[in-house]
Amino acid sequence: MRASLLAGTAAAALLAVLALAGPLALPDPDLPDYAAKLLPPSAAHPLGTDQLGRDVLARLASGARVTLGAALAVTTLGAAIGVVAGGVAGYARGPVDAAISRVVDVLLAVPSTLVALAVVGALGPGLVHLVLAMSVAAWAPVARLTRSHVLTAATRPDVVAARMAGVGRGRVVLGHVLPGAFLRVLAVAALGLGETIIGLSGLSFLGLGAQPPTAEWGQMLAESRYDLASSPWLLAGPGVAILVAVSAAGLLSDWLGERL
Amino acid sequence: MRRLLRLLASAAGTLLAASLLVWGLAELSPGDPARQVLLSRGVAVPVETQIEAVRAELGLGDAAPVRYARWLGGALTGDLGSSWRTGRPVTAELGERLPATLRLCLTAVALAILPAFALAFAGALGRHRWPDALSRGVMFAGAAVPSFLLGVALLEIVVVRWGVGRVVADGGWADTPLPAATLAAGIVAQWARVTRGALIDAASAPFADVSRARGSGELRVLLVHGLPHAAPPLLAVAGMTVGGLLAGAAVVESVFTWPGVGRLLVEAITARDLPVVQGCVLAGVLAFLAGAVAADLATRAGDPRL
Repeated sequence: MRASLLAGTAAAALLAVLALAGPLALPDPDLPDYAAKLLPPSAAHPLGTDQLGRDVLARLASGARVTLGAALAVTTLGAAIGVVAGGVAGYARGPVDAAISRVVDVLLAVPSTLVALAVVGALGPGLVHLVLAMSVAAWAPVARLTRSHVLTAATRPDVVAARMAGVGRGRVVLGHVLPGAFLRVLAVAALGLGETIIGLSGLSFLGLGAQPPTAEWGQMLAESRYDLASSPWLLAGPGVAILVAVSAAGLLSDWLGERL
Repeated sequence: MRRLLRLLASAAGTLLAASLLVWGLAELSPGDPARQVLLSRGVAVPVETQIEAVRAELGLGDAAPVRYARWLGGALTGDLGSSWRTGRPVTAELGERLPATLRLCLTAVALAILPAFALAFAGALGRHRWPDALSRGVMFAGAAVPSFLLGVALLEIVVVRWGVGRVVADGGWADTPLPAATLAAGIVAQWARVTRGALIDAASAPFADVSRARGSGELRVLLVHGLPHAAPPLLAVAGMTVGGLLAGAAVVESVFTWPGVGRLLVEAITARDLPVVQGCVLAGVLAFLAGAVAADLATRAGDPRL
């Protein structure tokens, strides 16, 4: 298990360096150079240039900010909504709990890709809309977990003791119960990170997410599709980046899952 | 019998809630439906009276519950409205695209069965040795490679480099293998993981030891005792994947320009054609629920304890 932690951390660190330091050191990712179209990898352009003469490595680095940033936003937003909704359901019980649980049941009974497509369909294509759409699909598992955590905590000795010491129910939930759910929420949220990266880049590939000229990995792949026959390196850049990111997320969530 | 009714009732409840979600999302969507309908009828710059007439025709002035009830009633009787792009009924557009999607999905499922079982048995029989490592590697790769990446790469290598097949598929049998294989890759990883886990569970169960004590080989233990043990979780996952294919095929269909429901959905989203989006999503939910119910029924039919 140490091996998967090491490999996952190494891959994540590599991506973090690419996303954080890359755009500072590399040329402008959106600046076209029509004299340097579709150049193979060289010293000046380590991953070659694309159909508009833009540096692929620079676009990969700025795309890392977009793709990984959006994936982290979806995961964070989904976890935040899930914790609040699950916490409220577990705290309030009764009709509020029934209503929230019903929505969670429906969201869990429908494929999350379909939910995301339905929301993007209503809001219209775009990166912000896509992030919102995927968050709508992502919060349900976290909410279910948090709700059951809050409900089962009611009879825990430390919770009973806190209640008897005069601490209000709201403060008990916020201060004594929810902090204990942190690691499990993290594990459930991390479990979906790889799929979120695939979903985001996939829907951007279809033109439903990031719009040109924004560099996004799936979007880069879609733009370069028709030049792959002459310039196969255009597939390698974003393809390998997506693979490394999804593998890193998978390895780390595996490790986290087995720790709990 | 009562179980069956309860199962169907719960599926119907989910479908009803999903329909409310689908309808409500369209309500939240920006833009005036009346203008879109006029646009589909060839009126690009409508005058006020035309808009008023269409608003009255669509009943846009009614209260929200009335409009939802009317929309739901239509949906139940097979009327999902008309496309804003073509003006044709949504059900006609769906019906036209459904055969291609069914062909693609069924072929993908047929392709996935054998490799999934091979990987699961390799993993369970060769536990902690190289076959298991190999099978786990293949499963990890299958889950990590997105279908659009695999599809683009396959299209590039097989069609463009080797000259086999066509770039633009027409949805016929001749074009089916490549997109079906792309779709199958993701299914194989999912099924193999579930089956391998259940087989390994079964191999360490007391009944497996009894069988071994009576002289069965490891393969016989897994085939005769392991497979029935693996059936319920595998059936549940299989029902979900098959039902979810309608949605999951959107990416693969778009890569291969496959004329199916998934691509129709993506086209409709890009063109902001809300009635078609609603129709495709509802069809996807229906397919997914049908898959789940079918898997549940199959599990009950095969398990004497239930």
